[in-house]
Amino acid sequence: MGKLWLICIASISILLPFLCNAFSPETPTDRRVLVLLDDFAIMSSHSLYFNALKSRGFDLEFKLADDPKIALQRYGQYLYDALILFCPSVERFGGSIDVAAIVNFVDSGHDLIVAADVNASDLIREVGTECGVDFDEDPSAMVIDHIGYAVSGTEGDHTLIASDDFIKSDVILGGKKIEAPILFRGIGHAVSPANSLVLKVLSASPSAYSANPKSKLSTPPPLTGSAISLVSIVQARNNARLLITGSLSMFSNRFFRSGVQKAGSQTKHEKSGNEQFLTEISKWIFHERGHLKAVNVKHHRVGETDEPALYRINDELEYAVEIYEWSGTSWEPYVANDVQLQFYMMSPYVLKTLSSDKKGLYSTSFKVPDVYGVFQFKVEHQKLGYTSLSLSKQIPVRPYRHNEYERFIPAAYPYYGAAFSMMAGFFIFSFAHLYSK
Amino acid sequence: LDLRFFYFFLSICESASFFQPISDSHRSAAVELFSPDHGSLKSLEETYEALRTFDVLGIEKKPDVTATACRLVSETVGSSSSTLKNVFYALKANSIVKCKINDKAYQGIITRLNAAVDGASSLPDFYYSVGGLVLVKGSKGDVHLADADGIFRSVKAFRQSDGRWRSSSSNPESSAFAAGIALETLAGVVSLASPELDQSLISTLNNDISKLFDSIEKYDDGALYFDDKLVDGHDHQGPLATTSSVVRGLTAFAAVTDERLNIPSNKILGLANFFLGIGVPGDAKDLFNQIDSLACLESNRVSIPLILSLPSTVLSVTKEDLLQVNVNTVLGSNAPPLTVKLVGVFTSGSKAASLVESQELVFDDGTGMYNLKNLPKSIDVGSYTFVFEIVLHELEHEKIYITGGQKKVPIFVSGLIKIENAEIAVLDSDLGSIETQKKLDLAGQNAVSLSANHLQKLRVSFKLTTPHGLAFKPHQALLKLRHESKVEHIFVVGNSGKQFEIVLNFLGLVEKFFYLSGRYDIELAVGDAVMENSLLLAIGHIELDLPEPPEKATRPPPQPVDPYSRYGPKAEITHIFRAPEKRPPKELSLAFLGLTFLPLLGFLIGLLLLGVNLKNFPSNAVPATFATLFHVSIGAVLSLYVLFWLKLDLFQTLKLLGFLGVILVLVGHRVLSHLASTSAKLKSA
Repeated sequence: MGKLWLICIASISILLPFLCNAFSPETPTDRRVLVLLDDFAIMSSHSLYFNALKSRGFDLEFKLADDPKIALQRYGQYLYDALILFCPSVERFGGSIDVAAIVNFVDSGHDLIVAADVNASDLIREVGTECGVDFDEDPSAMVIDHIGYAVSGTEGDHTLIASDDFIKSDVILGGKKIEAPILFRGIGHAVSPANSLVLKVLSASPSAYSANPKSKLSTPPPLTGSAISLVSIVQARNNARLLITGSLSMFSNRFFRSGVQKAGSQTKHEKSGNEQFLTEISKWIFHERGHLKAVNVKHHRVGETDEPALYRINDELEYAVEIYEWSGTSWEPYVANDVQLQFYMMSPYVLKTLSSDKKGLYSTSFKVPDVYGVFQFKVEHQKLGYTSLSLSKQIPVRPYRHNEYERFIPAAYPYYGAAFSMMAGFFIFSFAHLYSK
Repeated sequence: LDLRFFYFFLSICESASFFQPISDSHRSAAVELFSPDHGSLKSLEETYEALRTFDVLGIEKKPDVTATACRLVSETVGSSSSTLKNVFYALKANSIVKCKINDKAYQGIITRLNAAVDGASSLPDFYYSVGGLVLVKGSKGDVHLADADGIFRSVKAFRQSDGRWRSSSSNPESSAFAAGIALETLAGVVSLASPELDQSLISTLNNDISKLFDSIEKYDDGALYFDDKLVDGHDHQGPLATTSSVVRGLTAFAAVTDERLNIPSNKILGLANFFLGIGVPGDAKDLFNQIDSLACLESNRVSIPLILSLPSTVLSVTKEDLLQVNVNTVLGSNAPPLTVKLVGVFTSGSKAASLVESQELVFDDGTGMYNLKNLPKSIDVGSYTFVFEIVLHELEHEKIYITGGQKKVPIFVSGLIKIENAEIAVLDSDLGSIETQKKLDLAGQNAVSLSANHLQKLRVSFKLTTPHGLAFKPHQALLKLRHESKVEHIFVVGNSGKQFEIVLNFLGLVEKFFYLSGRYDIELAVGDAVMENSLLLAIGHIELDLPEPPEKATRPPPQPVDPYSRYGPKAEITHIFRAPEKRPPKELSLAFLGLTFLPLLGFLIGLLLLGVNLKNFPSNAVPATFATLFHVSIGAVLSLYVLFWLKLDLFQTLKLLGFLGVILVLVGHRVLSHLASTSAKLKSA
């Protein structure tokens, strides 16, 4: 009986890491994705995108958004690592999913991809609002661009946009430059300037505006120019990553395969940039890029190897940390030249850029300030597109002990000399006084 | 109609509400999807799908695909342990690649299939075995079903009253997918029957097909499809596979029966529209289903759909584009002789009468398209709905083909818009007199520099004319003022006829402008879907002098922060250490050290001058020893002080001093008392 228990507990402890599955540096693989659709036909009309995900090892589970049996968690455990909402018109999710459940899902570190579209439901708009973006409130508004549209024989209303205003970040969009513009048809959204977590990845051109293409424009459009975001990403403070876009069709096979020529440009691209753009960005969303971990934080006095319990003022010390980036399959050394260390007590006393050996090891050395108290080693690494690293380690710094001060001060030699000459005089005087006749 | 489906169709068909036949993009997709390195072609089913798709699309089969297929086929056919399903697909693949199969293998297969037909209990069993026999018949000829009536009845037992079928007697769910399979199986039974089947059996089936078509679903643009909404979505096939199965069954059945099936030909067109509306699927299975179904429709006996499509629906009046219309079958092959008529042209969104007379399009042999030579004069730039009609030349073709009646196609007619009289002016408010006025060249560069205060007005005006000289109203006519602090204000430029004008009265706008004085950049955006020269132009700037804000004035909204500046390394901080105390130079200290020895030197010289001697030093051995010890102890104490300075701490020093002190006192006492007694003796003497 006892043996049975042991097996039970052992198997639970083995299974446990697989049951709770937000992206974590400990178990970065094993990723299940729930895809909620308006219609199963999207599975085939958007299959290139789904296949790209599947080929990277994601386990996609397709469900209708109003399926009464869908649930994100069971018995307090999340069943999925990520959620893809390709259901712009859903008015109410089925099962136990609602906006609060999605927000909780993200709050516990899971990733989310939301694609809205023209006539997006209030529910999807609400999800967008929770993610920090505001879709144009007019339900029939679309992003129109009479200058940056995609030339097409069959699309004459300039709502099919060829956009190439990307965020400049290799970690989000991959190292390879996206040559062809992105085809976009859908609604625009605005990013709140107060929200520092949302980033516009793809912005509309200055000539774009958001309006109903079928009705006359009588009031100024609420969204115009580059303020319109076509695709935005969010990196939450818990490193959950979100993608929000106002176009579902940009994920479609049609747009993936379609050629693109931007109005006014002579270059005709064989294939739109959608596939590259969305695949690269999905790598970011699913933490295959830009997810950092820091290990082996070490610090010691110069010339020593053991970590002291405390430092004395003016000690020379060395600090080293190893930083790795998740590549989807393994942890690769992170190469950067702007990782900084702070020696911090209320405010940084020392702020130094760590030097890298290009193999993930970052190190520096500096002299402890001549202020004593409880300090912290702080590495606060925040970089566009990367997860934020925040390491801190407390370390006290003491003043000199009484016998650690300088012993023989040249300026005091006259005093020493006076005392010793006095003593020598006394010695001689004792003879002279006692024995002189 | 379910919004979901409506939405989906929007997403797959986009705005194009007409359908393009199969094109080269399908061919390249097929080559890409059905390549051995893509991971397909593993099973016989996939191999057959690849071969069939290539066959229909007219793609030359790659030798390695054929070789692989033949190897798989002969393996399966030769082995007695291969499953029924594999045998079926092997025969199907063989019907395309025509591998060499010897008669013995055929005989074995026929016996096996016949046994399978007799022992079949579920619909798939019937489907594979009957289908296999049909295929064998196709290549060998002499195959019959002995008890065709019985088999027909036992397959029919799976039928449900709503026209759907069950896949086996144990499965209570009925589906349209199974209906398609059943129809195909029954078609096989009919073609294998010898002697011929009872016609009444076949005609009852005709009714079932009509019932099945009652459950057809519809998208807004006329595409029709079948979908099984199973409660338990376990083996849910999706609308494409379901519709494809029905089409396959239907066309197979229509091919073997002599009766004409009473299905409205519009429904066939709707089904064709459904398959075409999917575009290019990204999945091998979907592509096969689409292509295979379209191939079935292409040559079906109910009615063959003809698809009217336009290579371009955006026509430029300036470039005098031709209006071209294409009429093809679903797979893109040529249609029978026919005429395309332009029935009417209507302005989008208005109910006015047609702008043109009904006319015929001219067929161009070179391109195989129907052209409208010149756009009618009455058509200016704008968006229109063109209505076309296909008229077949031969009456009997109308029974074979379905054209779908009048076809509405939205067409954009674009052109260059003339922009004239562009002006920007600053006006005095009360009198309306012009203070400064500048001409603008909206086709080129402008760098106007104006200044105004809150009592003045800004006026921007221009005139837009279409190529036909009519007033043009663009969708986007916006004036944008952007303050230095990036706060933007957008105004819609209104019009009266051709003249566009906006007057900004700054007095009324002070509050809206958040009392922000300074430089405002002016931008003008004029654009429309049919305007070929849409523009976004920086006109220049205006220096505004607005009053100071009152206390309660609203603050301008926060502007987005540049994401690049938000991150990035911070400036390094190095700690500034306390400066060391100021000390004299070492030389000076040493000089003073030397000086401190001068008194000692003086003292020694003084002693010599005084003639100090040691004559009183005890001469006896015992006192002399004590005297020596006394001075050695004094010396030891003094050296102890030096050691204290150099390295000893206070406790060590005190310990040693206590020891030395005792000796010093004892010896000192002896020496001093001896000296005192000798001096007393001297005195008394």
